Amino acid sequence: MHISYNWLARHVDLTGISPEELAENLTLSTAEVEEVFRFAPHLSDVVVGHVLERVPHPDADKLGVCQVDVGQGAPLNIVCGAPNVAGGQKVAVATVGTRLPGDFKIKKSKIRGVPSEGMICSVRELDLGDEHDGIWVLPDACEIGQPVAEALGVVDWVIDIDNKSLTHRPDLWGHRGMAREVAAIFQRELKPLDTSLPELGSGAAFPVTVEDNACSRYLGLAIDGAQQELSPDWLRFLLLAVGQRPLDLLVDLSNFVMLDLGQPNHAFDRSRLGAKGIVVRKARQGETMTTLDGFERKLTTDDLLITDGDRPVALAGIMGGEDSKVEGNTSQLLLEVATFHPGTIRRTSARLGLRSDSSARFEKHLDPTLPEAAAGHFARLLQSIQPGVSFPLALSDAGRWENPAKELRVRPSRIRSRLGANLADAEIVAILERLQLAPQLAGDEITVQVPAARATKDLGLEEDLVEEVGRIYRYGNVPTQNLIGEIVPPPADARRRWVRRLQDALAGGARFHENMGYSFVPDRVLQAMNIAGLPRVQVINPVAEGQAKLRRSVLPTLLEAAQTNRQRHGQVALFEVGKGYLPEAANQHGEPMEVHLLGAVLACAPNLEAAFDAGALPRLHGVARELLSGLGIALAGPEAHTDDSPFFAWAHPKKRMALRSAASGAVLGYVAALDPAVAQNLGFDGDAASDLAVFEISIDRLLEEPPEGSRYRPLPKFPEVKVDVAVLAPDALPAAEIVTSIASAGKGTVQGVELFDLYRGENLGADKRSLAFHVTLASDARTLTDKDQAKYLDRLAKTLEHQGAELRR
Amino acid sequence: MSTSEIDPEAVQAQALERIQSADTEEALRAVEREFLGKQGVVQGLLARIPSLEPSQRGAAGKQANQIKGAITQALAVREAALAHAAMDAERQALGFDPTLPPPTVERGSLHPITQVTRELEDLFASMGYHILDGPEVERDHYNFEALNIPADHPARDSQDTFYCDQEGKLVLRTHTSPVQVRAMERLQPPFRAVAPGKVFRQESTDASHEHTFHQMEGLVVGKDISVGHLIGAMKTLLAGIFGRELEVRLRPGYFPFVEPGFELDARCPFCEEGCSVCKRTTWIELLPCGLVHPEVLRAGGIDPEEWSGFAFGLGLSRLVMLRYGIDDVRHLLSGDLRFLRQF
Repeated sequence: MHISYNWLARHVDLTGISPEELAENLTLSTAEVEEVFRFAPHLSDVVVGHVLERVPHPDADKLGVCQVDVGQGAPLNIVCGAPNVAGGQKVAVATVGTRLPGDFKIKKSKIRGVPSEGMICSVRELDLGDEHDGIWVLPDACEIGQPVAEALGVVDWVIDIDNKSLTHRPDLWGHRGMAREVAAIFQRELKPLDTSLPELGSGAAFPVTVEDNACSRYLGLAIDGAQQELSPDWLRFLLLAVGQRPLDLLVDLSNFVMLDLGQPNHAFDRSRLGAKGIVVRKARQGETMTTLDGFERKLTTDDLLITDGDRPVALAGIMGGEDSKVEGNTSQLLLEVATFHPGTIRRTSARLGLRSDSSARFEKHLDPTLPEAAAGHFARLLQSIQPGVSFPLALSDAGRWENPAKELRVRPSRIRSRLGANLADAEIVAILERLQLAPQLAGDEITVQVPAARATKDLGLEEDLVEEVGRIYRYGNVPTQNLIGEIVPPPADARRRWVRRLQDALAGGARFHENMGYSFVPDRVLQAMNIAGLPRVQVINPVAEGQAKLRRSVLPTLLEAAQTNRQRHGQVALFEVGKGYLPEAANQHGEPMEVHLLGAVLACAPNLEAAFDAGALPRLHGVARELLSGLGIALAGPEAHTDDSPFFAWAHPKKRMALRSAASGAVLGYVAALDPAVAQNLGFDGDAASDLAVFEISIDRLLEEPPEGSRYRPLPKFPEVKVDVAVLAPDALPAAEIVTSIASAGKGTVQGVELFDLYRGENLGADKRSLAFHVTLASDARTLTDKDQAKYLDRLAKTLEHQGAELRR
Repeated sequence: MSTSEIDPEAVQAQALERIQSADTEEALRAVEREFLGKQGVVQGLLARIPSLEPSQRGAAGKQANQIKGAITQALAVREAALAHAAMDAERQALGFDPTLPPPTVERGSLHPITQVTRELEDLFASMGYHILDGPEVERDHYNFEALNIPADHPARDSQDTFYCDQEGKLVLRTHTSPVQVRAMERLQPPFRAVAPGKVFRQESTDASHEHTFHQMEGLVVGKDISVGHLIGAMKTLLAGIFGRELEVRLRPGYFPFVEPGFELDARCPFCEEGCSVCKRTTWIELLPCGLVHPEVLRAGGIDPEEWSGFAFGLGLSRLVMLRYGIDDVRHLLSGDLRFLRQF
């Protein structure tokens, strides 16, 4: 909200307080000031000129050549096209070098051969209104050569206040309320303001019927004889300063009263209202109305309407209707000043996407005693400008409302303990007095009288008064205190510890980069992965079409990132710790199950001649197994992952490995390649064609594993013997079975088995492969001899023979 | 050459000359073999002794042994000299270019949000705070109602919400504050807790707005917890984050779940006279905070007459941006390696 410094000064003496100081103090005690800026700074560059004479332009009928005295040197020669310019006038002159709104710089020029040394400005050229049918004629009293701003007394500053910080303060939505704050902060008097109603005529009040509680009060003030005219300069400039375009007197006054007291109001053409008068009711299903902005609005039974007993004439508290607006020749008015239910106004305004200055105020919960003051304020201002107006009828006053003013009690001890500041009772009372809360100290309690303006929303609890005292006292004066208390280490958080270890291992030894992605997954990615049909948590108001669904797994996020990155990088190694959301496993409150997952993707430029262990899948498999075993989870030997539930519709049907816990037998995760069609759908083709693998591990399942941890094994007492073992085996024989044989043939002496070569070749025969292992043998009891080694190989050869394989010697 | 013709003195002279001129280890070994080997010249001298007159044998043997000794010593000296020469050559390092770019060994990385979150978690844990989590798909009750934000409350405007159902019962949490009441339900006062995590706002994105970002909620409940305690805790927090004491100021801010509520500003850590980060004000708005509203304590089953507390909401994403000088919030969740590998 924009607050004008000059406007504030109508209500409180600001002598000696600069706009910046004002802003700083409001920020520290009341509400956040976003910025302070000069109103129409160009008005200090434009000067008062005196048109000495105007003669017709020799070569153009519509132009005139003026001699203008600007108080410096010889009169300026200015060519001007305005029809209303005449000798003797005081005008606003932009001299050469002046910049006008729109970054328009005045230059010396020649117009049809006649030199022109400046511009005589219209109101519109100065961004002060829409009138442009002629130049702006200033009052005769203006001093020649003075900047226009000073000459007219419109040097003003605008204080822009963050609306969000006023959400709880309906009283601050007008200058008077803000002035009340300033008075309290700077300990100055609030100037008196007569808002009493002027003398009213004896006619019966205009009929007003309130049929719905959503209107708690409806005042109608009948006004006769108001003339349409432009508002006086003081009014126009105040409105302009706060960003409100002046239109005509009645509209301007209505806005002025709203911006002054915070009370919206609306003038109807009384002659266009029917005999039933005003009826306030909820809209009927299917009813429509056209608001002042020209749009037809479809209404629901939750919307509150002002009607003429039949047709809607205004959408209550939000905007007037097109049909009953006040036009040029209206001389019979009804001024509506009402109080509406905040929630109703808010709902309608939100549903229609129609926010107005009026609705913004009503939804903050306005004081129902305010309408009377606003009606009086409007009437007195109008009367002062147009003494001929009259108020022929008694005031209409309908609705049911209660004065919200109330008494509150606060314990000074509570204020001291909540603030942590040692304020004396007297200091507290003094602050509450500055806030006009009429404090009375009795014993260990202070009773305050909360005026209606502060009582609808803001002040209702003892804590609210703690804030009142604190913000005037200033929080900066509260001494810093350290928390004191027994510090008990918080209970161990197993999941957090696991997550950190997993992250560290992947980012460290494995040299992966950690990603953090959105919980949303684009439909396009889900479709590409064949998993669009799975149950998913969805939002009903996504930021963009196709972005409504939440992920069940972190893989889609990682695959999408991998695809984009692969276009720039030869290798992409990413992991993410994040949540998956499973709606089918919701709890009794409807909250979906949130599962904790670790996913990784490794994508490299395809290399068809890669060694057996250099592809993405075996490498990532190795990373996953080392990751878990390094963290103390013993894994069962490598095995195929055969889960064919719909979630795995993206995975390669065969190239999948399970990560199975040796201790619990549970599958903790899997490593997989993509189905080739899915890879293509995801865009891993062309430059981004990739040798790619993923793994995903359930952190929740890791937590259920018996706490094994790494265990020390005594170092071998006798020397280790290294034996290389080459096995010729049919392709169909799983490597795991060969490894089992290699281990068991050692009768407890095999300490390690490591595959170091895998070879297929014509010389081996079809469907056969050769696997070569480094085997480490050692005994706890003695040094192994050549004989032991030979016996071991004999046993192994026999076992392999049973499996249809052959030990190559 | 027959051994009988060998002139022992000439042998020694020849050997020493050959040793001196050997300029590799290999050449030296060849000389050694030639003179001292089993078939070598010196062996030849010794072999001929039995054929000499008995009176000459003693002198010949002695002479042969002297020659062997002299050659052995010369070999050792020359070997040492060659080794030194080799090291001197290595020290010359001809052709070595210390400016040659080394092969890249790319490290992995932790996301900057992870790094900053961990620092804060460690800081708070050291002061006895619990580290808590809460659901991201949250009930309206915890996200709004229990926080004193009933339906139609204007404060809901500033938190554009993703709704998961038409009734608005389930939302993507708009802040980490729902963990406040969940914490109160779980923990017995007095307690201290922080809750880092992902939050969501339904708004269009630009360099400073994201629909998904990270926050860290803080909550302390105890006896006579005051604004003074809040200021103290926030100073400790900022010192932990920025590595030095920063001046702070509290000013009124409105959040329905605290009373009184504040915005906490800190002196801009990057400048003294105003910069683009602090928008030339020398203050940066860091976090909303306040004393826990009595209605919120009640919603968490805590008696506000007996207990009080403070709460704060730290913008983790914003803090990460400040810490590293990141100019576009959208980088954080972009998954772009060019961004991620910098941390």
